[in-house]
Amino acid sequence: MIKIENLYVSVEEKEILKGISLEVKPGELHVIMGRNGSGKSTLANVLAGKDKYKVTNGSIKFNGENLLDMLPENRARAGLFLSFQYPVAIPGVNNMYFLKAAVNAVRKSRGEEEIDAVDFLSMIREKLKMVDLDESFIHRPVNDGFSGGEKKRNEILQMITLEPKLSILDETDSGLDIDALKIVAKGVNDFRSPDRSFILITHYQRILNYMKPDFVHILMNGKIVKSGTMELAKEVEKKGYSWIEEEVAEAA
Amino acid sequence: MSISNYKAEFEKMLNRDYFSKSLHLYRKEAFAQLEKTGFPTRKWEDWRFTNVSIISDGEYKISEISDAPQTTPNIDSYQMEGVDTVVIYNGHYQKELSSVPDGVALLSGLEHFERKNGKFDTANNSPFDLLNTAFTDSGMCIVVEKDTQVEIPIRILFISNGVRSIMVNPRVYIDVAESSSLTFMEHHVGDAESFFQNESVFISLENNAQLNHIRIQSNSEFTQNMANINVNQDADSQYHFWQLVDGGKLGRSNICVQLNGENAQCYINILALSKNNQHIDNNIIVNHNSPQTHSSQFVKSILFDTSTGVFNGRTVVHKNAQKITAHQTNKNLLLSKKAKMNSNPQLEIYADDVKCSHGSTTGKIDEDALFYLQSRGINKQDAMELMVIGFANEVLDKIPHPEIKKAIHTEFTVKLNRLMA
Ligand SMILES: Nc1ncnc2c1ncn2[C@@H]1O[C@H](COP(=O)(O)OP(=O)(O)OP(=O)(O)O)[C@@H](O)[C@H]1O
Ligand SMILES: [Mg+2]
Repeated sequence: MIKIENLYVSVEEKEILKGISLEVKPGELHVIMGRNGSGKSTLANVLAGKDKYKVTNGSIKFNGENLLDMLPENRARAGLFLSFQYPVAIPGVNNMYFLKAAVNAVRKSRGEEEIDAVDFLSMIREKLKMVDLDESFIHRPVNDGFSGGEKKRNEILQMITLEPKLSILDETDSGLDIDALKIVAKGVNDFRSPDRSFILITHYQRILNYMKPDFVHILMNGKIVKSGTMELAKEVEKKGYSWIEEEVAEAA
Repeated sequence: MSISNYKAEFEKMLNRDYFSKSLHLYRKEAFAQLEKTGFPTRKWEDWRFTNVSIISDGEYKISEISDAPQTTPNIDSYQMEGVDTVVIYNGHYQKELSSVPDGVALLSGLEHFERKNGKFDTANNSPFDLLNTAFTDSGMCIVVEKDTQVEIPIRILFISNGVRSIMVNPRVYIDVAESSSLTFMEHHVGDAESFFQNESVFISLENNAQLNHIRIQSNSEFTQNMANINVNQDADSQYHFWQLVDGGKLGRSNICVQLNGENAQCYINILALSKNNQHIDNNIIVNHNSPQTHSSQFVKSILFDTSTGVFNGRTVVHKNAQKITAHQTNKNLLLSKKAKMNSNPQLEIYADDVKCSHGSTTGKIDEDALFYLQSRGINKQDAMELMVIGFANEVLDKIPHPEIKKAIHTEFTVKLNRLMA
C-alpha cells in the first residue's frame, strides 16, 4: 500500500523527521505512538502533501506511484485520507456542498459521472447514522462551531464517504468521551477490509481495546526507534517512554 | 476644494423650466453652504483614506433630456423575477418600463420634495448630501401606509449609460408607516464611460415598521458612486440592510442610522468585491439614542489586484441609551499582495449598562483551510473559489426573498469565477 524509505523532513530549516522507514501492506493497521513534538503529525501531513514541510531525503511509494510527486488533491483522489488532529473550520462553506464537491472530485478523476443529488443525500444520511451525527451538521459550515468530538466525527464521516484505501488518523481518538470513541472505533472497524490500510496516531492504548493493530511503532525525535505489537502499546501506557529512551541511548 | 466646476451646471439647473421653481430656495441654500464647506479632502477626519479629487476636479454635466434614451431601452439583462421594477435611466424616469406596485404610493422624488416643501431631512449636511439637495434631478418616494404589508419587493433600477460625462443626483424617500413592511431594492447598473452618481436616500420607519433594504452597486468601472443613506427609526422598528458593491471606480457609502425609539433595531450587512484600482469605502454611523436599541454592522470585503477599501464604522451610544446591544464585525480578504484595506471600527459609549463588541480581521486566504479542502480531492483552484464564495456567503446567505437571493448569488458567483480564473 505505502512504502516510506529513509524519510527526512524539515520545517523552516528545522529537521523534524530524521530517517523514517515504514511499510504498510493492504489490510494492515499500524499504530504510531510518541511524545508530544516527536513528529507524528509532521509525518501525517507530509503524507497528505502539505507543502510547508520540505522533504530533504527519502522516498514514498503509494501503490507503486511516487507520492511526493503528487499534488495533495491527487493523493486524495488516489485513495489517501488524513483525519486531521485539528480539523480547520471553514466559515461560509456548507458541509454538504463541500462533501459533494469532494466526492465528485474523486469520481471525476476516475472518469465517473457526478453523483446525483438525491442519491448523495440518501447516502450521506446513512453515513451520518454510522457516526451518530445529526443531519443538521451537514447543513452547517465545515467544522464551524463544532465541538472537538463533533469535528472528529465529521472527519470519520468524510472518511467513510470518500472510501480511501489508506486512512491516516491523527489523534482522532483524543479528547473523545467513551461513547464517541466507540463510534469512531466502529466507523473504522466497519470500514476495515483486506484492501484498506490504516495508520493510527495516538497517545492512548484505549482505542486499541476496540481495534486490533498489526504493528505498533514508537516515534522519538523524528525516528521510529521501536516497533512491536499491541503489547508495546500497553507497555508504553504503563511505563511511559523513558525506558525506550534509555534503550536507544545504550544502543548508540 | 473648490466647487467652481459645478457652478455653471448649477445655473443651468436653476434655469430648467421643467423643474419646479418652488425648490430653488432650498437648492440655492444648499449650494451656498456647499460652496463654503467645499468637497472633502483627505485632511477631513472621515475622509482620510478616500480621495474624491476625481469628483471635485471633475467636469460632470447635468443630465439633459438628450441623455435619456430616445427609444425604449432594452433592459433584458437586468430583469429580475418576483419584483416590481421602476426604471430610472441617466436620471430620467422610464414610465413605460416601470410597474407600480400595489399598496404603495409612488411619487417622483421631486413631487415628494415639493410636498415636504423643503422639510427634507438633510441628516448630516455632508457635502454630498448638500450637493444632492442642490442638484436633485430624479428619484422616487415610496410611501407605505399604516398596517400594509407589501409582499412584492420594489426595485428601482438605476441605469447609467452613455459616453458623456454626466452626473445624476437621485433622491429616494422611503416612508414606512406604523406596523407596515416593505422590501426595497436599489439596483445600480450600466455601461457609462464616465459618470458620477450622487444618491441620497431618506428612510423613515415608524413604530413597529420593517424595511428590508437591498442595494446592489454594479455599475460600470468608470462610475463614481456616492451614496448617502439616512435612516430614522421609531420604536420597535427593524431595518435590515444588505449592500453588495462590485461596480464603480470609486464607491463611498455614507450610512447614518438614528435609533430613536426603544427597541429599534438595525442590521447592516455589506459585501464589497473590488478589482483593478477600484476603491470602495463604507462609512457607517449608528446612533443609539434610546434604551433597548440594537444594532449590528457586518461588513466584508474581498480585494483583488491593486484595489483598496475602507471600513469606517462608528457606533455611538448616547447617555440615556441603557441596555442596548451593538456589534461590529469587519472581515477582509486580500487576494493580492497589492490590495489594501483600512479598517476602523469604533465604539463611543456614554451609557454604562450596554453590551457592545467590535472586531476586525484582514488577511489572505487561510492556507490551512485550503489544504484541508485539497486533502479531500478538491483541486486548488476550486478550493480557492469555494472558500472565497464561502467568505461572501456569510453576507449573501442572509438576503431575504429566495428569488432575489438566488439571482444575486448566481451573479456574484459568475463574477468571482471570472476574477479567479
Ligand atoms: N510549521 C512549523 N513550524 C515550526 N515548527 C514546527 C512546525 N510544525 C511542526 N513543528 C515542530 O516540529 C515538531 C514536531 O511536531 P509534530 O506536530 O509533528 O508533533 P506531534 O508528534 O504530532 O506532537 P503532538 O503529540 O503534540 O501532536 C515540534 O517540535 C513542532 O514544534
Ligand atoms: Mg500531532
